[in-house]
Amino acid sequence: MPAAIEVRNLTKTYEDVPALRGIDLTIQPGEFYGLLGPNGAGKTTTIGIITGLVKLQGGTVSVFGKDIVRDYRFTRSQIGVSPQDFTSDWFFTIEKLLYFQAGYYGITQKEAAPTIERLLEQFGLTAKRDSKIRQLSGGMKRRFQIAKSLVNDPDILILDEPTAGVDVELRRMLWNYLRGLHREGKTILLTTHYIEEAEQLCEKVSIIDEGKIITEGTPNELIRSLGKGGVEVHVSGWEEAMEKRLTNLTFAYEPSEDGGRVIFTVDNPEKELTKIVDSLSSNGCTIHEVRVTKSSLEDVFIELTGKAINE
Amino acid sequence: MTTVIQHINWVGFRTLVAREITRFLSVYRQTVFPGVISSSLYIIIFGFTLQRRISSINDVPYSIYIIPGLVMMNVITNAYNNTASSLLQMKLLGQMQDMLITPLSNLELAISFIIGGAARGFINGVMVLLVGMFLTGMPLEHPFYVLLFLLMVSWSFSSVGLIIGIMAESWDNIATMVNFFITPLIFLGGVFYSINMLPEFWRTLSMANPIYYVINGLRYSVLGGGAADSSIGLSLFAAGVMTILFTVAGTYLFHRGYRIRQ
Repeated sequence: MPAAIEVRNLTKTYEDVPALRGIDLTIQPGEFYGLLGPNGAGKTTTIGIITGLVKLQGGTVSVFGKDIVRDYRFTRSQIGVSPQDFTSDWFFTIEKLLYFQAGYYGITQKEAAPTIERLLEQFGLTAKRDSKIRQLSGGMKRRFQIAKSLVNDPDILILDEPTAGVDVELRRMLWNYLRGLHREGKTILLTTHYIEEAEQLCEKVSIIDEGKIITEGTPNELIRSLGKGGVEVHVSGWEEAMEKRLTNLTFAYEPSEDGGRVIFTVDNPEKELTKIVDSLSSNGCTIHEVRVTKSSLEDVFIELTGKAINE
Repeated sequence: MTTVIQHINWVGFRTLVAREITRFLSVYRQTVFPGVISSSLYIIIFGFTLQRRISSINDVPYSIYIIPGLVMMNVITNAYNNTASSLLQMKLLGQMQDMLITPLSNLELAISFIIGGAARGFINGVMVLLVGMFLTGMPLEHPFYVLLFLLMVSWSFSSVGLIIGIMAESWDNIATMVNFFITPLIFLGGVFYSINMLPEFWRTLSMANPIYYVINGLRYSVLGGGAADSSIGLSLFAAGVMTILFTVAGTYLFHRGYRIRQ
């Protein structure tokens, strides 16, 4: 079966400023995929090209094996998009806008009616169906935006910062909803500024910076391979001579009134734990407490890009 | 299960046309009534008062003589404004992306917008024509040509609206085109006078104005041969050229995604 989305050597330049410098992505059908990157990294441009909002300049993009330029009618009909910025409309109710959106996808009003009723219900918008967008709260606007991306019942859902600016409760609701869609077999491509979101939801993530993919893998793989862990041991009986005896470990000692803390930096804390405890005990230290610390995806992100995701 | 379109997205096309027409009809106080009211005022104030001084032009009572020009003025400005403002509004409010991500072709999008504007121009033209007939008892000599001119001119100036709407980045850009080009050309096209009343130089210059031909084309269609300054053949030719030229230019720009797709 062809990949849901296959991006090869994607390049894009805006007025001589390179936005994308050869992006490669493969997203398998049914995968929940996250694209992480700081502002201006190229996430929205990549999504824009896949969905047809941005013109393709260099490289190829296919959706379920079909080219997005040659077979745009097929590829666009497979995708639903929730853009980062809210759209607005001065004339029509949100229900009418959902029917219009379905219509653009070639779905008649009669065919669209059950889906639209379901979406209004699922996103808690039934009571607001006769309202205009400007009459909705920020959270409702976001729900409407995501509901609109689902009117064509797409196999691929692309969400650009879907939980930006929403409260914790709505974020949890959206996460659960997206998990449900994923269980139904939909392919989901998500960009987010919330690394926790990617850790919670995505099976695979790519980190993109300055128009290039820096790394790709499952969140656990990335943390294991690129993150640094630690083992923190509260001890008494520490002597200066110890520093020479523990030459094969990277550590720092912080003395305190009731003994001291030795902080070891290791790649795999669980694996190194026994060795550390043995070394300290055999050298006359009394161990009071042991704590294992692990890197998060955020640490991996900072390690790779040299900046925090919100920078 | 998604719907896959093979050749023409008829449902999408119909939906966007319906959206464009419903949009301006939902604010008919801004989009239909003003033209009818201002034209009625022109007929009453200009027509009936000036008629005492200019009793007739080309043997047509002055109050009737000006009506075809007023009809064209409404057709042109409404068709242009509808498409230009709809497009700019969609760009500014982010609505355009809702359409660009769907399986609607650029050509289908462009033609839908043109039809929306043409419908507003046509409806306005018919309304002013009916008001004129009601107020003055004006005849309708060649209804088929009337229909043809209304359709061609509303279509071609809706296409001009498409071109300007694509290029515009602010409301100022749209108003500039109306204030500095379209309105002067309409007034200089002989809405209120015959170019035979002008000095030689201005008469010759007026003949380079394409709007002069469509106003006189409609004047012929409504009032008969003697009322118009230009021949029906030349008027039809001018309207046809404008329709083709502006449609091709507008759809080409849209097709290329100029200022629409980044």
